[in-house]
Amino acid sequence: MADSPARTGSPPLETTETERPSLWVVRPLATAAKQFAKSLWRPSTIVYPFERLEDPKFRSAVGVESGRPIGVGEIWDNYRGVHALNIQTCISCNLCAFSCPDVCIEMVTVPGGDPKHPKKCPEIDYGKCSFCGFCSDACPEGCLTMTTRYELSVHKRADMVYSPQKMYEVFQSKLPMNPIRVARPENEDAIRLDPPLCIGCFACSRDCPTNCITMVDIPKATPKPGEKPAKRIWKEPVINDSDCVRCGTCISVCPKDCLFWGSRE
Amino acid sequence: MAPMTLFSVADAIAAALLGLLGRLLPAGAAHAVTAPDVVLGLATVVFAAILLAASMLNTILLIWYERKLLGRFMDRRGAMHVGFAGLLQNFADGLKLFRKDTVRPREADSLGFWASPTAYMITSLLIFGVLPISTGWNDGSLPLTLLLALVIFSFAPLFIFLGAWASNNKYSLIGGMRSAAQMIAYEVPILLAVVAVVVLSGSFDLTTIVNEQRNYWFWAPLFLALIVFVAGMLAEMERIPFDLPEAEAELVEGWNTEYGGMLFAFFMLADYLRALVGSILVVLLFLGGWTWPSYVPSALTSFPLAGIVWFMVKTYLVFGLFVWVRAALPRVRTDQLLRLGWMRMVPLALLSIVLAAVVVAARCLPVLGCIPSIGG
Repeated sequence: MADSPARTGSPPLETTETERPSLWVVRPLATAAKQFAKSLWRPSTIVYPFERLEDPKFRSAVGVESGRPIGVGEIWDNYRGVHALNIQTCISCNLCAFSCPDVCIEMVTVPGGDPKHPKKCPEIDYGKCSFCGFCSDACPEGCLTMTTRYELSVHKRADMVYSPQKMYEVFQSKLPMNPIRVARPENEDAIRLDPPLCIGCFACSRDCPTNCITMVDIPKATPKPGEKPAKRIWKEPVINDSDCVRCGTCISVCPKDCLFWGSRE
Repeated sequence: MAPMTLFSVADAIAAALLGLLGRLLPAGAAHAVTAPDVVLGLATVVFAAILLAASMLNTILLIWYERKLLGRFMDRRGAMHVGFAGLLQNFADGLKLFRKDTVRPREADSLGFWASPTAYMITSLLIFGVLPISTGWNDGSLPLTLLLALVIFSFAPLFIFLGAWASNNKYSLIGGMRSAAQMIAYEVPILLAVVAVVVLSGSFDLTTIVNEQRNYWFWAPLFLALIVFVAGMLAEMERIPFDLPEAEAELVEGWNTEYGGMLFAFFMLADYLRALVGSILVVLLFLGGWTWPSYVPSALTSFPLAGIVWFMVKTYLVFGLFVWVRAALPRVRTDQLLRLGWMRMVPLALLSIVLAAVVVAARCLPVLGCIPSIGG
């Protein structure tokens, strides 16, 4: 009767006491007292609206120098906060709006362009923005960057849309900014032309934001036997590769689809 | 001139008020108004009003004190925005609760539901009537104040259970049953620990007990009884680690689950009133009440109302001890609670009675000096 049905039920309640019970009381009390003594003068809490982590006096306490994991209490210079836009250097290339995964960037007209080609700068809706930073990565001129400002609360939803002028004010406040990409990748694609299709319409050179497209005369193709030589002088775009920012505006405006992306050589 | 007591102050206020009234009234009515019995009656009311205001103010201050202290134990700041260092935060909270609707569950028993917070509050306030805060607080007219205080103190489980049962909610009922079981279980060690004090002092009067501690405070010979008393008080106050009746993690809010608004505020205030009473009792029974050690420089003891100030400082330190325990210890299980109560606390209390008897028999302790003789 060693394994009677009574034995096979639930195991008996565990009542063994592993340590001396007095330690269960004394040890936590000592820990609490230690913590109390430590935080008596100043608890770890940083009273946020009145004190800020980016305040230099907290850098040694909670920042990199404290030996804690990097990022604790440290506002990095590549923190992705509100955008700063330098309207002066913006070339209206549309790359930021093109690269935005949330479609929160709209190019709006700002004063300063000539009447035929209005200057357009990004307007960002922070209600949609996910702060991925693709736009500032894509910006070829380094005029759209992200700052360390993180306070975005507003009272009205319409206030979440930051106009270019507002982001220019952020730019002028000289906050720490993300590092701007300077070097361009070596193996970058370039705009290629399919010459036989080109009709020499000037659309690409007119709309190029960097004015890197010049239309040059091309030698007329030798007429076929029995054909009259054409009177018109044909022009063809030549793209200055070092000035080109790869925005693709020329491709999108080409009426004959004769411009395309291709490897540089 | 008789020593100034709180009741004499109240008496003077009542006499002044009635004298003012008597001047405005015709002579016959004035004579009736200023009769000694009328003055005595009004003096009692004034006395109660002063006590009520003082105890409520101290209770609210106690909540603030706990919040600040607990914050430091948890490496944060407590309330800090309303008023200086958050002193007015509890008033703001109370105002918010006051403006709230009090909802009674449809199936709840009306009388029990409304009556129990009120009765709980009243019995908690009633204890302050018998607690002497300083010399000559209430003329020493009650020879059994200690017993009376403990009796009123032990009314609480009745009203808690009543409210919990009347709420018609399973969590409330479980919390109420736990509360009743816990409070009744810990009454026994508390009373036994008090017996040790009574043996040593030879009196049930709190004023006499404090006066008997003029040579040494009772915590030194009765350290075991102090531990038992503090643990029992923690259980009676339902504070962590003995807060099973309102264990938030398992029972929603315990026996006051169904109470909201001002009724909840009543329960909350009464809880802290009882915590204040517990601290005061510890000070009275074990820490010498309003007296101070002889080595304290006279500058710290010779200002007016020094006794009250010393008493309050000790009370708040004892409550700080309760907060320390709350910050450190986790909640115990029911079986651990009852085992601790019956198998540890009761024997310890009995042992401390024996110790008290030995001290009385020996009359003198080598270090602490002699105790006063009992029975004249």
